[in-house]
Amino acid sequence: MTDQIKIYIPKETSACSVGSDLIAEKITDLTQGYNHISIVRNGSWGAFWLEPFVEIEKDGNRTGVSYLNKETSHLSSIEEFFDDFYNSQPFNIQDIAFIKRQTRLVFSRIGLYDPLDLNQYRNSHGYKGLEKSFEIGQQQTIDEIKKSGLNGRGGAAFPTAIKMQTVFDQESAIKYIACNADEGDGGTFSDRLIMECDPFSLIEGMTIAAYSVGANHGYIYLRSEYPLAKYFLTEAIKILKTKNLLGKNILGTNFTFDIELRIGAGSYVCGEETAMMESIEGKRGLVRSKPPLPAIKGLFNQPTLINNVITLASLSSILSFGTEIFSQYGSGKSIGTMPYQLCGNIKHGGLIEIPFGITLDEMIYDFGAGTFNDKPVHAVQIGGPLGIYLPANLLNTPLTVETLINLKGSLGHGGVIVFDDSTNMALQAKFAMDFCQKESCGKCTPCRIGSVRGVELIDKIYNKTAVNADRILLEELCETLETTSLCAMGGMTPNPVRSIIKYFPNEMMN
Amino acid sequence: MPALHAVQKELGHLDNECIKTLAKSFNISNAEVIDVITYYDDFRLEKEGQYIIKVCQAEACQSLGCRTLLDTLKSHFELDIGQTSNDHSVTLKEVFCLGNCALSPSVMINEDVIGRASSEKILAYLSEKQNISHND
Ligand SMILES: Cc1cc2nc3c(=O)[nH]c(=O)nc-3n(C[C@H](O)[C@H](O)[C@H](O)COP(=O)(O)O)c2cc1C
Ligand code: SF4
Ligand code: FES
Repeated sequence: MTDQIKIYIPKETSACSVGSDLIAEKITDLTQGYNHISIVRNGSWGAFWLEPFVEIEKDGNRTGVSYLNKETSHLSSIEEFFDDFYNSQPFNIQDIAFIKRQTRLVFSRIGLYDPLDLNQYRNSHGYKGLEKSFEIGQQQTIDEIKKSGLNGRGGAAFPTAIKMQTVFDQESAIKYIACNADEGDGGTFSDRLIMECDPFSLIEGMTIAAYSVGANHGYIYLRSEYPLAKYFLTEAIKILKTKNLLGKNILGTNFTFDIELRIGAGSYVCGEETAMMESIEGKRGLVRSKPPLPAIKGLFNQPTLINNVITLASLSSILSFGTEIFSQYGSGKSIGTMPYQLCGNIKHGGLIEIPFGITLDEMIYDFGAGTFNDKPVHAVQIGGPLGIYLPANLLNTPLTVETLINLKGSLGHGGVIVFDDSTNMALQAKFAMDFCQKESCGKCTPCRIGSVRGVELIDKIYNKTAVNADRILLEELCETLETTSLCAMGGMTPNPVRSIIKYFPNEMMN
Repeated sequence: MPALHAVQKELGHLDNECIKTLAKSFNISNAEVIDVITYYDDFRLEKEGQYIIKVCQAEACQSLGCRTLLDTLKSHFELDIGQTSNDHSVTLKEVFCLGNCALSPSVMINEDVIGRASSEKILAYLSEKQNISHND
């Protein structure tokens, strides 16, 4: 018998955006009739500049080649493909510095195998976390999460265990869990990667959270811009139902848990947890005022645990590998690893999971290999549309929750966007206001109307017709937005604007 | 909302008839249905093109020229944001992040994402699709 050969071709949005599916079609054609060759549509490793990254596993060796600028249309046989592949200096992706320097705990499985292969998932510690949780019980599970030091990864860095404890403590026959998969921040994709490349880890994490707080019904609120994530989640839920890992009597216990997938409809503010609940309930996504906290009165007026995708996926790793795996890294609000997303004008963009505290310099040059077009770095935006812009002379800033707060910004969901020196910073400031205007839910006047005024004022600066009074007005407007907005949409829109005024003053003058 | 998504997927948009039917089946007023539809960018009251081209205008894509890309597409199709061509072949839209920010600029055509997008790449994609559908 001939030895088995596996060809891995990613099925993941970024890989497919540069032709992964076309290669898969071609190779599928070429391998017709070869029973010893199988094609695996794996997830991505998150090293996107290599995509489509095709790997071959043969004689226990797995190596890959980037097919970004390689033609495959002329290949007429699988032998030709193999020749071409092995003549293109294949390498093991786990040997490259970009991957080797990371500490992948939550993202330990992405890229390895077919994300819907439940056997592979279970063979790589999958469902060990839930088993452990069932073994130690609800309160103990929450205590373990507390010990791990995990804070929410959705943006506000709120201690996960405290929220869980609050929901657990509510006397209520019905409780819900809602996974926030709205991932609206420009420059972020870590939620998407988990959902597309390791959906079981998210669902296992959700099941652990649901069990520990006593919820039997869960929602995943997924943004509509992620059709492939929708596919993977839908399939994963189906598979888990047939394997008794969702539904009644999970793993032989008397715990019942179901998940329903809800698709958003293109509204950024629906990522805010109370607007998300309104949207799940079928209404306009208007922000509710707090209190009551969702943990006390949430979905359909019942206690509801709301967490981000990465937060929930982290629970699986923490429970199966032990709390120290997280708590050994970092301090304060920055404990464990953080999946940073390096993108924008960068050569080697992708997912970087690493303990908190890496500096922008290390990230951009050691991981990212500099800008995509080799121009000097001019600015870096951190933490999405409500995040601040830092100038090139502050690239020694370590990325932790605390350092960003001290700089009057936020690490948010961990997006890091690089801009070169052709960037017009006044235009970036205008965009911040424009985005607020477009995405405002409309409840607060400063956010709804003030942002329109903000756009007009910055337009004057951009067109070099602003007078000093306009600048004072802009500062007052920022002040009003910050102090009178119900949620961070209006409240934090001043952050990017003020950071540009502070760090790029010349570009905000006439 | 699942109902709105489902109906729109079938019919392409949500016209007066569907609004009435939906209102009836959920036992709410027509105005309440319209209220929800108009809040969300994804729902549409009018017929859109066969190809809906969404050009990402969020920050990572801005860093690699998505504003120019959108302008080029606007003048090529002679459409503004949100408009549909007379023959209902294309609708041009803006979107804020497709989660493909490490391969900017990104464009989504129906459910396909195109990374490192350029106007040439978009037009080549469309003409290939149109060839396939003509040959069917
Ligand atoms: C305007 C706005 C948008 C938000 N968007 C998201 C989002 O897309 N995903 C997310 O997880 N959290 C988002 N959040 C934060 C949520 O409100 C909430 O804090 C988070 O889902 C809680 O989960 P965590 O504790 O696991 O971080 C947003 C907040 C605001 C104010
Ligand atoms: S700040 Fe803006 S988005 Fe937030 S509740 Fe007020 S109007 Fe709505
Ligand atoms: S910013 Fe354009 S895809 Fe994310």
